[in-house]
Amino acid sequence: MKCVILAAGEGKRMHPLTYTRPKVMLPIANKPFLEWNLLNAIDAGIKDFVFAVGYKSEMVRNYFGNGEKWNINIEYINQGKALGTAHAIGMVEKFVDDFIVLCGDTIFGKNDIKNIAQKENSMGLLEVENPDDYGIVEIKGKNVVKIYEKMDEPFSNVINAGIYHFNKKIFYYIKKTDKSPRGEYEITDSINLFVKEQTIRGIFLKEWQDAVYPWHLLDANEEILKKMKKDIQCDVEKNTTLKGTVIIGKNAKILSGSYIKGPVVIGDDCKIGPNCYVRPYTAIGNGCHIGNACEVKNSIIMNNSNVPHQNYVGDSIIGQNCNLGAGTKAANLRLDKKNIKVVLNGKKFDTKRRKLGTIAGDNVQIGINSMMDSGSIIGNDVKIGPGAMAKGEIKPKTRVL
Amino acid sequence: MCGIIGYAGFRNAQSVLIECLKRLEYRGYDSAGVGIIDKKLSVCKEVGEISNLEKNIPTMKGTMGIGHTRWATRGKVSKENAHPQVSGNKKIAIIHNGIIENFQSLKEELQQKGHKFSSQTDSEIIAHVIEEEYADTLENAVCSALKKIKGSYALAVISEQEPEKIIGARNESPLVIGVGDNENFLASDITALLNYTNRVIYLDDGEIVVMTKNSIRVIDGKKKKLTKKEKIVNWDVKDAEKSGFDHFMLKEIYDQPESIRQLLRGRISEIEEKINFPERVESILGTEYDSIHIVACGTSFYAGLVGKYLIEQLTKIPVFVELASEFRYFGIKKDTSLVVAVTQSGETADTLAALREAKSAGCKTIVITNVIGSTATRIADAYILTQSGPEIGVAATKTFTSQILTLFLLALKEASVRKTLGPDEIYHYILQLKKLPSQVRKILDNIDEITAIAKHLKDAQSVFFIGRGIYYPLSLEGALKLKEISYIHAEGFASGELKHGPFSLLTKDTPVIAIVASDETYDKMITSIGEVKAREPPVIAIADEKDSEIEKHADFVLHFPSNGLPLSGISIAVILQLLAYHVAKLRGCSIDKPRNLAKSVTVD
Repeated sequence: MKCVILAAGEGKRMHPLTYTRPKVMLPIANKPFLEWNLLNAIDAGIKDFVFAVGYKSEMVRNYFGNGEKWNINIEYINQGKALGTAHAIGMVEKFVDDFIVLCGDTIFGKNDIKNIAQKENSMGLLEVENPDDYGIVEIKGKNVVKIYEKMDEPFSNVINAGIYHFNKKIFYYIKKTDKSPRGEYEITDSINLFVKEQTIRGIFLKEWQDAVYPWHLLDANEEILKKMKKDIQCDVEKNTTLKGTVIIGKNAKILSGSYIKGPVVIGDDCKIGPNCYVRPYTAIGNGCHIGNACEVKNSIIMNNSNVPHQNYVGDSIIGQNCNLGAGTKAANLRLDKKNIKVVLNGKKFDTKRRKLGTIAGDNVQIGINSMMDSGSIIGNDVKIGPGAMAKGEIKPKTRVL
Repeated sequence: MCGIIGYAGFRNAQSVLIECLKRLEYRGYDSAGVGIIDKKLSVCKEVGEISNLEKNIPTMKGTMGIGHTRWATRGKVSKENAHPQVSGNKKIAIIHNGIIENFQSLKEELQQKGHKFSSQTDSEIIAHVIEEEYADTLENAVCSALKKIKGSYALAVISEQEPEKIIGARNESPLVIGVGDNENFLASDITALLNYTNRVIYLDDGEIVVMTKNSIRVIDGKKKKLTKKEKIVNWDVKDAEKSGFDHFMLKEIYDQPESIRQLLRGRISEIEEKINFPERVESILGTEYDSIHIVACGTSFYAGLVGKYLIEQLTKIPVFVELASEFRYFGIKKDTSLVVAVTQSGETADTLAALREAKSAGCKTIVITNVIGSTATRIADAYILTQSGPEIGVAATKTFTSQILTLFLLALKEASVRKTLGPDEIYHYILQLKKLPSQVRKILDNIDEITAIAKHLKDAQSVFFIGRGIYYPLSLEGALKLKEISYIHAEGFASGELKHGPFSLLTKDTPVIAIVASDETYDKMITSIGEVKAREPPVIAIADEKDSEIEKHADFVLHFPSNGLPLSGISIAVILQLLAYHVAKLRGCSIDKPRNLAKSVTVD
């Protein structure tokens, strides 16, 4: 059985992080979203994969290659124009018989993948508290009756989880699928056509982690970190404190006075300390520096970025190759303790988080003693002058002085 | 210029080819076609834009094929002349971008062997030569055919005898390989493929690629296998239409080494020491006329003014350059005069009207245009194509240099017909012409000084351009470029005229751009610069690279590569274009679509 992973999406809702990488390559606990998915699918016994790629596909290909590193086989199909999920799945027709499909930007548990793989013509369902942002699934007994795209007033809490098991018959219905109101060919419409003549079994999942907006990455990061095991592959200086699950990569230096409270993952070639405080649910990529008198909490710091001198970074995401000037801090809590609202792609959102710091793209350079307001979204290649205040949504390649 | 595309893969070839062709439409759009192999070869062509082909094409099966969008250079716009062109046995189809120089002799040779041709294109013979050479494999047939063909080409060839394969070849016309998964592509330009792949292999001249859906093999003309590196293109689709340039205008400025080469191709013959024009043009050039009227508007008018100096100098025939909008009403149209209309689009309303007036007065008429089949080409007795490819930026750039060069070739031809120049002199000019593309390339590769000077100009209220001889119309064009895209008031003057009025406008805040040639007017120009300097404005000289004196007289100097007169004018035009572009960019202007202006002025 082949496993098709949909990895073509640009993920506009993940701006600014997806200006420079496809959504499936966003790092969670120091591995791309897609890799966590792949690992679980491999654990579920699958060896043959087809990645449907598109936006910045070379990054996916460069990272995963032909799958040798994982002892599996990966084929790539370029979706071409991004015309929706049905179009993407339709592209693989000549390469599969009986197959499962995973949405690459959602992490599925290995047992759930196994269950779906065992039942031909099935799909994953999930009961959630807040079904507003998802497709609602109407079921009768164990079978799917109809999938509704995002509803204003959902009649049920059962949603489409984004994992399917199809056989060749699905392609007949994909070809019959019309464009949806938003102008795409949706696999849910193909399934609706399918279930009029055949049956699809709904299978409820036990584990599921998706991320729609950047701040959801912090939740996903936390969930994954909770499940990881301690692993320290480098030397640690005297007078450092490591508590709980701490994972540290090769050639990293943990210098005296560092206080690291897990779950925390630190990549290869990092320099941590001296005298810094790394708090739970933090993922620090490869080649990063967390320096003297810095505190990092519940954050994702991507490769080759520095939080070097007297900084505070809480509930934030910092892209690759960023540098914070000495004394620069990211606020993460409103004085009135209300939910943090952000402006993303010009639209205002309630993140439903009480604590949220900054979300910064790649190559952001920040001068000394600057401030980043809670919920700021900073585009890639932005420069923020010394002593400046960054707030709201800052477009890529701009300067804030 | 034409756009070509090849596909071997798993998708429906028809929809891939048509979608990719649409992205190549900027390379030409007078007719289009696809050839697809699904066991048998089938070809579908239509006149008009690609949307017209899309509308009329029947559903074709098959996952490999080739497609072409045409910008006619030889043979009128018609279904027969559209590509793909097929071989006599209808088994081989080719698409071609470029010009085959020895097509006439090849055609006669093939006709003697019994080949029948159904189009007027030079491209059709390629299919027939390949058919003739086909012994064992398509690859070998293409290799031996290319040995017989002289000229420029980007080619893609398919044959139903080997339905998996596409053979591509490149010589002086662009061709790239798009690398996919279970599919591979060929295209004139990576732009066309960005929806499918951004992995690209750039072919070099003389290279041939043998491609199937899961293999790519690049060889040289001697069939030696070459190792080529795959590159990643990081443009998004919008950038890509401009080949990664910020504006079409800049792209078109950078097109010039190529557009000059295309213009000269087949027109100058080093061996025969002569200039070749289409038969109808040559038959007119031999006839009796005592003067030439060049009629045109805008930038074309300035090209005409340059042409006046060139033709008069080389042929001693008096030349009158007339604004088409004036000439049509007031100009004297004598049947002893040759009228040469210059219009990029071939649709400029005033120029068309002037042409009609001249024709009905009994004048012989020739039009110099970039668009085959345009109204002007149908009115005039004969036409010369500038072969520059579509120009999208409203400000004319590559078509201006092409018009000047065409007029220069016309002057040379006229001079050789009237024997005012001997073969040795013609040969001397041909050698100079051949140097042009690399000289323009040199300017384009070293723009730091130009961008530095643009900073000095960007806040000016008013800028003067001055020059003598052909550098006077170039000053006019330099001023026109600057004003039309940067909205800075700019005027060009013959430098001798400054003291007859314009001086009163000169202040220390009026930068003066002086075009200084190392010719007999050099000392006069230095005097003019001296007069200008007395009013303390900054002077920017555009001077020959061998001129070491000029630094003493001007505040800033931009150098152009030395070339015999008058061809350095081409390099100067490119410098003036770059200067205007960078000033406009610094001022944040809408460069490709300046306010109140349209590309082709089809109203009176």
